[in-house]
Amino acid sequence: MITIHMKLFGGFRKFGETLDFAVPIGSTVAAIKAVLQKKLNGDGLVLDSVLANDSAILRDSDVLDSDAELSILPPVCGG
Amino acid sequence: MSASIHVSVSTDTLNIQNAYDFVTDPAHGAVDVFVGAVRNHHEGQSVQGITYDVHEALAEKTFRDICLEAQNLWEGIKIYMSHYKGQLGIGGISVIIAVSSPHRAESFDACRYVIEELKKRAPVWKQEHYEHGPSEWLPGHSLKEVSSG
Repeated sequence: MITIHMKLFGGFRKFGETLDFAVPIGSTVAAIKAVLQKKLNGDGLVLDSVLANDSAILRDSDVLDSDAELSILPPVCGG
Repeated sequence: MSASIHVSVSTDTLNIQNAYDFVTDPAHGAVDVFVGAVRNHHEGQSVQGITYDVHEALAEKTFRDICLEAQNLWEGIKIYMSHYKGQLGIGGISVIIAVSSPHRAESFDACRYVIEELKKRAPVWKQEHYEHGPSEWLPGHSLKEVSSG
C-alpha cells in the first residue's frame, strides 16, 4: 500500500485541510479519486474535480507507485 | 535586460502602482491594467465579502504558463499578474493584470487573454459571504478539460 496525503481546496474545505489514506501500489488517479469520493461521503463534486501535484494536473490514467502529496481541485472561478 | 513577466499570489493588499511600475518601458507607449474587485451583489443576493482560496504553487505556474502564451501571441509585451489569497470586503482588489506594449491594440488584447485564461485555468476558488444566508463556494470551470488537453 502507499499513502496519499491529499490537500483539500475550495468546496472541499468543509472536510478539513488535508486527508490521508492508503491505496494499493500502482493505483491509477481515477482509482484514487474513487477512494477519495467515498471518504468524502460520496460528494459528487469529486466527479468534476481533478487531482494535481504542485506542478501539474494529473490524468485519470496516471499511475502512482509511491507515497504522494496530492491536491483535489474542484472547478475553478478566480478573478 | 529587465524581467518581462511577474506572477504572484499574495496575502497582502494588491497594489496597482506596483503593477504599473513593473510593466512600464521606454519602448512601450501603451499600458492596459485590469483590476478585479469584490462587488456587493450576486444573483440577487447581497454580498458582504469573498474569501479566495488558492493552490499557490500551481497557480503561480499556471499564471506563468498563461503569460508565456500571451508573449508568444503578442511579441515583446510585458505582463504583471497577481491574485489575492484570503478574505476581502466589498471593493477589495482580488486580481491585477497589467500589460504594456509598443501600441495599444496588443495591450488590450493580451490583457483580455490573460484574465480570461486565468478564470478558466488557475486553481483559485471563491467563497461568497452573504448578508442573509450561509456562505457558499461558487461553481466554476472544471479543470478536467485542461488535464485531458
